[in-house]
Amino acid sequence: MELTDEILINAPKDRVYAALNDPEILRQCIPGCEELIKHSDTELEAKVVLKIGPVKARFTGQVQLDTTDAPDGFSLTGQGNGGAAGHAKGGADVTLIAQGDQTILRYDAKADIGGKLAQLGSRLIQSTAKKLAAKFFKSFADVLNEEPVA
Amino acid sequence: MKDEIDNRDERVANLKGLGCSRKRVEDARFTQGKGNYVDDIKLDGMLFGDFVRSPYAHARIKSIDTAAAMEVPGVLAVLTAADLEPLGLHWMPTLAGDKQMVLADGKVLFQGQEVAFVVAEDRFAAADGIELVEVEYEELPVIVDPFESLKSDVVLREDLDPKAPGAHGPRKHPNHIFTWEAGDKAPTEEVIANAEVVATESMYYHRTHPCPLETCGCVASMDKVNGKLTLWGTFQAPHAIRTVVSLISGIEEHNIRVISPDIGGGFGNKVGAYPGYVCSVVASIVTGKPVKWIEDRMDNLMTTAFARDYHMTGKISATKEGKITALHCHVTADHGGFDACADPTKFPAGFMNICTGSYDIPTAYLEVDGVYTNKAPGGVSYRCSFRVTEAVYFIERMIEVLAIELNMDAAELRRINFIKKEQFPYKAALGWEYDSGDYHTAWDKALKAVDYDGLRAEQAQRVADFKAGKTRKLMGIGLSFFTEIVGAGPVKNCDILGLGMFDSCEIRIHPTGSAIARLGTISQGQGHATTFAQILASEIGLPADSITIEEGDTDTAPYGLGTYGSRSTPVAGAATAMAGRKIRAKAQMIAAYLLEVHDNDVEFDVDRFVVKGAPERFKTMKEIAFAAYNQAIPGLEPGLEAVSYYDPPNMTYPFGAYVCVMDIDVDTGVPDIRRFYALDDCGTRINPMIIEGQIHGGLTEALAVALGQEIAYDDMGNVKTGTLMDFFLPTAWEVPNYETDFTVTPSPHHPIGAKGVGESPHVGGVPCFSNAVQDAFRPFGNRHTNMPHDHWRIWRTANELGLHD
Repeated sequence: MELTDEILINAPKDRVYAALNDPEILRQCIPGCEELIKHSDTELEAKVVLKIGPVKARFTGQVQLDTTDAPDGFSLTGQGNGGAAGHAKGGADVTLIAQGDQTILRYDAKADIGGKLAQLGSRLIQSTAKKLAAKFFKSFADVLNEEPVA
Repeated sequence: MKDEIDNRDERVANLKGLGCSRKRVEDARFTQGKGNYVDDIKLDGMLFGDFVRSPYAHARIKSIDTAAAMEVPGVLAVLTAADLEPLGLHWMPTLAGDKQMVLADGKVLFQGQEVAFVVAEDRFAAADGIELVEVEYEELPVIVDPFESLKSDVVLREDLDPKAPGAHGPRKHPNHIFTWEAGDKAPTEEVIANAEVVATESMYYHRTHPCPLETCGCVASMDKVNGKLTLWGTFQAPHAIRTVVSLISGIEEHNIRVISPDIGGGFGNKVGAYPGYVCSVVASIVTGKPVKWIEDRMDNLMTTAFARDYHMTGKISATKEGKITALHCHVTADHGGFDACADPTKFPAGFMNICTGSYDIPTAYLEVDGVYTNKAPGGVSYRCSFRVTEAVYFIERMIEVLAIELNMDAAELRRINFIKKEQFPYKAALGWEYDSGDYHTAWDKALKAVDYDGLRAEQAQRVADFKAGKTRKLMGIGLSFFTEIVGAGPVKNCDILGLGMFDSCEIRIHPTGSAIARLGTISQGQGHATTFAQILASEIGLPADSITIEEGDTDTAPYGLGTYGSRSTPVAGAATAMAGRKIRAKAQMIAAYLLEVHDNDVEFDVDRFVVKGAPERFKTMKEIAFAAYNQAIPGLEPGLEAVSYYDPPNMTYPFGAYVCVMDIDVDTGVPDIRRFYALDDCGTRINPMIIEGQIHGGLTEALAVALGQEIAYDDMGNVKTGTLMDFFLPTAWEVPNYETDFTVTPSPHHPIGAKGVGESPHVGGVPCFSNAVQDAFRPFGNRHTNMPHDHWRIWRTANELGLHD
């Protein structure tokens, strides 16, 4: 499964970058996220409840960040396991481009999905993933827009 | 008195015997929702078991933690391989001489493999328990391609000694299962090397699934007081299941009662033994309570008994005039993680060696390599005799490709190569002896019925119109002529797990002239209770309506190998006729005694014995039945019962001629089946209405397979078609109107000349639908494209041929 999109966020680039590394903001924005623990600057652990079609499961995932391109973007790889519901592994490249006071966030994600999730048919997963990503970035943009400018 | 003698036609009609379109007696209960299927069985205190299944196609199991699952209210036990190992039940033998894990023993080999069995008070608690069983997997490289498997360093079956031979001889690679050969290799290669014309083609007959409406399931009930195990299940072969359960569990066979209640379709899916049966039995022994296991749809499609998955390469040679001289076939057979194919022991590729088809091919050679991959085990005969669909698809495609090579009409090419009527019994190059046939008559009748020449003229006009831009629809004419090999089979060369493939019938005539007959087979919708009573009615002269047919209870029915491979009528039907003849022989003696004449002075007439030359002196079978219980006849035991175990001398070889006319929209890839004509010759016809129903059903499953139905995997070994959203089951929307027709060429060795018909339409239908699609594109350079011909693939074919430019 591959997902590519870009959105415009009403905040400068370094604030966007900082927010993307803030576990509390991420926890608020990731749909279904119950817990997000930052083990180090490059290692995160998440517990997320996901519902795709008839499959609902709690996924436990590990995420590794590669921040060599900071603050122009970063890469992440990760894997998640939802037990009987299935599992996923994949990665994403996130690029941030300053546009005045605003920032264009472009992402390129790839995931391999296994188990029951995969059996439900790629069309369902693709559309659900797209919806979840859109939901994430909408919340993310909202949070940044609400935050008073320091 | 004279009226009663003269009304012979009426007496025949009253019996509702052979040839009568008798209404199905089963349907009264089925149409009123009164069937009794496995999931309808509810016993006091019954528990429910279900599986934790592997999400990975190939992985090592590092640990299984069942503690959290055991905390779920209602969960009583979680079985793993470690629990079954002390009983020796963590592995079980397969029908193909391999062994299969009951529960994952250290690793998993396909997605959906059974890892643990959760036993709970109801299915909901079991489902909750499954969620909480924590299994730690270590992913291993996944192989879903058999060619890659034979080159890979990754050993799938670490439990097997890579150097040791398998059940069918030497293995070439740790992932190789067997090589099976038929025919003469060197002479075939020589004829092909020197031939005037040779056509070569590779084709993939994709993996699919029988997908019966009712999934597999069972209820196991161990009575610890009397030591008896009762096992209800969706078994196509209940007696064989009893023997297998006894052999692997150590429970004495007389203490096991296997019952197949009503079955909602089998199509091969319910022949094998599955881990669910073993786990249910163990769980019932452990808990002392009945345990039910019922697959859901995903379980069924993902894990039980796939069909096909044959990669076939053929070479066919001919003279310039089109007379076929030789056929060479190689198959790479993908058997999945365990070799659990359901074939007679000596035939690891089933009857694939019927692949010379209906043609007089003097020299032929077949080689099949079985290969392990990370896919579900199975390899059943989905609505066909063992691998016959693959064989018929192969030859019917090779004929079409040869016709292209020769630039010849495919109908004419078939005609000049058919085995001639006078050549029967015909000994084929790959070993079989065809019992009877009249192919030319059937073919000519079919082509005339559809106005074949007119269709070809119309098609030529359509091509011209298409090229002139007047239409975007192409027209395909699909032809297929098939010969099946069914009714396995002679005990001398057919057995399953050492059990000879005979079948049986036991008849008891009641004093008032009605009867019960029990058979070793089991109906899954075929209408046995209707048709076997008809066979018997004609044999013993009692009305079919007065005969109860019972199957599926091993405590009462005689031993038989079950229903699959169109074997019920050829084998159990023969046993029924033979047992009926034993009844008749005794009835003759009783009649002679009652009529005070010598045994040889009476003869059978429809429903009675009459004194030869004095038709007014007779005893009806009803009178004879009462006499059997009422008279003290010197030299005769009381009662009127008989049993027959029938070992068929040969298989039977039904055949047929099919024509499909299809319009294809090249821009959407949607085929529209305008006409489908099916001529079947199944020998003596027992019930024309049931035959027609069988043909409609078989053709619809053929349409499914040819036009979209498949079990597809991605590179990670995920089953991509695990639900009915992705797995194509045709509905009334896709199904065309079928025209049926017939010729009658009785089997010379079957007691009533019947050959079996349930699977013919599937076997002949798949190549017919496929050939129609391929034929539509033939004028534009198409030679062969693989099934399933779903809309996207048809569109792609059109696109690749430049028809969208």
